Amino acid sequence: MTVNDSAVEVTNASFVYGKLKALDNLSLSAPRGISYGLLGPNGAGKTTLIRLLVGLLKPSTGEVRVLGQTPGGKMAAQIGYMPQQPSLYQELSVAQNIDFFAKIYGLKDKPARARRVEDTIKLVDLWERRGDGINKLSGGMKQRVSLACAIVHNPPLLLLDEPTVGLDPELRAGFWQHFRNLNRQGVTILISSHTMDDAAHCDRLAFIRKGQVIASGTPEELKKATGKPDADLEAAFLHFVRREDKKIV
Amino acid sequence: MFRYALTIAQRIIQQIIRDRRTLALILIVPVVVMTIIWLSFPEALGTLDYVAPALLATLALFFGFLLTGISFLRERSQGTLERLMASPVTRADIVLGYLLGFFLFALLQSLIIVLFTVYALNIHYTGAVWQIFIFQTVVLIGAINLGIFISAFAKNEFQMVQFIPLIILPQVFLCGLLWPVAQMSNYLQWISRFLPLTYAVDGLRNIMLYGKTLNEVGGDLAALAGFAIGMSIITGLSLRRGVNG
Ligand SMILES: Nc1ncnc2c1ncn2[C@@H]1O[C@H](COP(=O)(O)OP(=O)(O)OP(=O)(O)O)[C@@H](O)[C@H]1O
Ligand SMILES: [Mg+2]
Repeated sequence: MTVNDSAVEVTNASFVYGKLKALDNLSLSAPRGISYGLLGPNGAGKTTLIRLLVGLLKPSTGEVRVLGQTPGGKMAAQIGYMPQQPSLYQELSVAQNIDFFAKIYGLKDKPARARRVEDTIKLVDLWERRGDGINKLSGGMKQRVSLACAIVHNPPLLLLDEPTVGLDPELRAGFWQHFRNLNRQGVTILISSHTMDDAAHCDRLAFIRKGQVIASGTPEELKKATGKPDADLEAAFLHFVRREDKKIV
Repeated sequence: MFRYALTIAQRIIQQIIRDRRTLALILIVPVVVMTIIWLSFPEALGTLDYVAPALLATLALFFGFLLTGISFLRERSQGTLERLMASPVTRADIVLGYLLGFFLFALLQSLIIVLFTVYALNIHYTGAVWQIFIFQTVVLIGAINLGIFISAFAKNEFQMVQFIPLIILPQVFLCGLLWPVAQMSNYLQWISRFLPLTYAVDGLRNIMLYGKTLNEVGGDLAALAGFAIGMSIITGLSLRRGVNG
């Protein structure tokens, strides 16, 4: 596989906030058309990595490429970014928020945009609430609007920072069904998460800890690496954490 | 360039229209303030003539600064600025979008003050209305950019409001609204020369009271334009603050 086949390519990237090293010589590569999961505890560096991939931050050292290009500028239109906090305009309605981001991401044709906004609202199951202000929604509903804003322009790459937090199991399953559909259409999805339920849906995973990738591969490979036949992903993660800690001692 | 500025302006207008109370305050407050001043000087109508242009300038600065500042602060704190910065929108789009969006309401406010003083309070101005508005435009561009810029230094609405006594009040005291600049001590006069509101008040008085043209208040206009351009540049550069963390 050549570099050009990857949707996301991170090579020896480090990032420092003041003195705090949030990413430490991190490398990973996500091929196109799959769901790639970033798994790791609080403070592992998942959000920092995603912010590097959307071009909000520049790596202190190393290199970051998305869709074969350096993040930022015009290529930003090809990415759908969902920040960890639901970032929405509180006074505006559900539909107005989604329509605004559709415009910002270049959907100029009005009837086509209206159709796309409608489809996206229905997809996140908020059609009845489309006229409501964001401040009238529940936490999970805000999360859904936030996701809608990230996917409304049909980008080939989605960078989703904990998109399933606060969703009920039914919606979560629905979302994953949609993500899998997108994958089949060639869309690459990079997702950060804490939950092993999300992890099980991914084609490939990277376990991240203290700004480093401690293991990566398919869920099956990672489970197998523990050496126990009935290990789940949780056990696999702990296995790699322990292995990592032994290295340091 | 500026492809998305109009989209952002349109969004700001939507936001204010949906926030009925803010909209009402924007439109009613100047009328209330003018009426209070009018009631406090029932005999000496000349005073109000003199105060109204200064108030027009002061409210433009105040409104431009506070409303843009707070709404930009919220854009930062609610994370939507991060979303914008991750999108194809440029920094120039954002600043220009804010300018256009708030400008509409600021101009509407100025219009209400002028119409109210002329028709309800029966005050006569000699200057041409369009010249007043062109002048106000320049004042507002500076004020709106000042608001966005200062919002980078505030972490919440409380802090933003604390900047009023620091940034706005000295200008109000020294601009000639309360007492003429010429009667102040030398060093205060010297300080007032560095404050944009001083030029705004002087220019608007000359236009409205003495019927001077934009050309004749060119010095004031140049000072204000310098401030507006300088602020726009600094503001554009400051936008990344709070997004990079
Ligand atoms: N703006 C910031 N300023 C300073 N330090 C920061 C900032 N943002 C993150 N950090 C630090 O960088 C490290 C990585 O944070 P990051 O947000 O990337 O973690 P995360 O994996 O997304 O965690 P979570 O699962 O809690 O979202 C943490 O130690 C955090 O304290
Ligand atoms: Mg995070």
